[in-house]
Amino acid sequence: MSDGKVQFRKVSVPPHRYTPLKKAWMEIYTPVYEQMKIDIRMNLKARKVELKTRVDTPDISNLQKCADFVHAFMMGFDVIDAVALLRMDELYVDSFEIKDVKTLKGEHKSRAIGRLSGKGGKTKFSIENATKTRIVLADEKIHILGSFRNIKIARDALCSLILGAPPGKVNSKLRQVTARSAELF
Amino acid sequence: MGRPSEAAGMEALHQLKSTEPPQWLAPSASLSESARAASQHLFASLRPHVRKSPFDELLVDNFDAEQIWQQIDLLTQPLVRSIRRRVKHWEKNPAEIENLLPEVADGGKKVAQGKKMEEIDDDDDDDGGDMDMDDDDDDDDEEMDVDNDGEQDGGKDEGDESEEEEEEKSGGIEDKFLKIKELQEHLEDEEARHYGLDAKNKKSKKKSGSKKLEDEDDDSEEGEEDKEEDDDEDEEVDLFAGGDDEDEEDEMGNARYEDFFGKKKGGSEPKPRFKDELGEDSSSGEEEKEEELSSDDDDDEEEDDDENVNKKPKVLSTHEKEVQKIKSEIEKMEKANLDPKTWTMQGEVTAANRPKNSALEVDLDFEHNVRPVPVITEEVTQSLEEIIKKRIIEGQFDDIKRAPGLPSKAPRELKPVDENKSNKGLAEVYEEEFVQQTDPAAAPLSFSDEQKKEIIEDMSIQSNVPALAMEEIAPVAVSDAAMLAPEEVFSGKGNVKAEVELTQTERKRRRAKKKRKFKAVETKKMASKKAREDELRKQKEGTLLVVQVTHLCCQINVMLNQKL
Repeated sequence: MSDGKVQFRKVSVPPHRYTPLKKAWMEIYTPVYEQMKIDIRMNLKARKVELKTRVDTPDISNLQKCADFVHAFMMGFDVIDAVALLRMDELYVDSFEIKDVKTLKGEHKSRAIGRLSGKGGKTKFSIENATKTRIVLADEKIHILGSFRNIKIARDALCSLILGAPPGKVNSKLRQVTARSAELF
Repeated sequence: MGRPSEAAGMEALHQLKSTEPPQWLAPSASLSESARAASQHLFASLRPHVRKSPFDELLVDNFDAEQIWQQIDLLTQPLVRSIRRRVKHWEKNPAEIENLLPEVADGGKKVAQGKKMEEIDDDDDDDGGDMDMDDDDDDDDEEMDVDNDGEQDGGKDEGDESEEEEEEKSGGIEDKFLKIKELQEHLEDEEARHYGLDAKNKKSKKKSGSKKLEDEDDDSEEGEEDKEEDDDEDEEVDLFAGGDDEDEEDEMGNARYEDFFGKKKGGSEPKPRFKDELGEDSSSGEEEKEEELSSDDDDDEEEDDDENVNKKPKVLSTHEKEVQKIKSEIEKMEKANLDPKTWTMQGEVTAANRPKNSALEVDLDFEHNVRPVPVITEEVTQSLEEIIKKRIIEGQFDDIKRAPGLPSKAPRELKPVDENKSNKGLAEVYEEEFVQQTDPAAAPLSFSDEQKKEIIEDMSIQSNVPALAMEEIAPVAVSDAAMLAPEEVFSGKGNVKAEVELTQTERKRRRAKKKRKFKAVETKKMASKKAREDELRKQKEGTLLVVQVTHLCCQINVMLNQKL
């Protein structure tokens, strides 16, 4: 039960996510409205997604979760990946920029971004699969969605790639990581 | 020069006696004059007693100290001898003394005897102070020594004669060298001197001889050492003992240590005392002289003609000497303790803290942490070579073996990481993981299982076309590798040679082979051709026949028709 007051959240929509939002609106709307019991609407004029608690919202944290979910979608994650935020508490989104790791300019930056993704995105996918995270490379910004420990591993891998490690090395490390994590369980 | 009167001489003596010792340090004309006068007076008083002497009076004007001394010496030497003889005689016969000097009382008798002894002492002093019976170490004048010996010898003879009379009774132990009685007396003498006058006085009456108390300590030591010695010393002792005894008893019956050796506290300091070793002798002698001349007894110097003052160290007793020795040692040790230690005794000493090159003088001992260089001799090399040869023959080398590594775990299987975009959403991934943790049975297959399924062999026709043509139109990377591998291109057997590599024979062989092949083919062809041609001909002939037959038939028909 909420405090009694109605609470709002507003998530702005960047222009490049406008069309994907339109396409995936129902997938977003359904879990939010039905499972989380949060009112959601799109304010076209303001280009914002607005969320509001209802009377029968069980927990105020639902609102925040929905807001995070929508925000993750806006960052670039897929709906199916972002929905995990709704379902699990321990998932977080970590963002950082390439310049946080190393100051690169011009071609170097471009090459670094290329290294991060790899040929056809295979490096990025390998990191995602190995660490059970989802990664969004938005030019300079990098967003990682996953549990805390996995975010850390993925971030280490990405940072090493930015700093110049060859993908093969990163792959081998990832393999070790997966093997270790498999051993744990 | 006219001889001064007695009174003047006495006056001079007085003056000398009264002068303070420090005054003698500096030469002074008045003192010199008075000294000369006094010596003249004394000389004159002695002259009558000597029978023959070259000088009637002492010549002092413009005479050197040495010369005056010699004069005195010449006079007194024979005098001393005669007096000694007399004294010895009187020792044996004390009664005679009384006869000699009847006017003197008993006490005076002793005084006279003492006086005579003192005169002798005086003479001794005049002579230079060497006539002591016990050999003095200090003033060793050779002449004196010789005289001494002579005197001693004379004395000894007399002593021997006297002694032998007394001690014939004693047992067989004694012989002419060992006289037990004398030994006893000597011992008592020593004891007395060592422990004080009182003891001596008590004992003195018993014995016939005792040493003079004024004797030096070293004399006493000598005497102690020489207890077993021959009689000479004892004899010497005996000579003067009696007179001394009586003398000292009278005058110094209550004499104390301080009288002789000065006060212990102040007196033990070496004051500048101008006494000879016979100083004390002379003092008593002087006393006697003074008494004779009616003067007090006092520690006064012997009147010496030479102005030079003899600075002799103060006479010390045995004990004092020992004490002094110990004290000096103590002082030395204390001083050593107070001073900073020598550098060798200090702990860590650098080169700056010790004198230059001092380490060379000291025998240093330190550990050399260096093995001594091995001396390579022929034997050493030979032994080494033998070892080497033996080892080579045996094959026993000292190769370094690799240390076995740590026991390694089985290498983890590294699952290949999928490089494709995963189909499942993140939620599903976590869902699966969760389920796997909680209920492994219900968990679906993992990705690796899926991967294993996917390994399918598929056949496809690959033609040896450049790969570029088959792949993307705008490939990221351009590669001009062919699609087919070389072995797929050509599966030849044997040693395939290029055209240029072939030798003549091989070329011929190749041609022959080709020809054979060709021929074989050709013959086949020809054969087949022939066969076909034959067939054709046959067919042709057949057809011809048929044609001919049909032509004939036609002709016949025609004919028949015509006929009809």
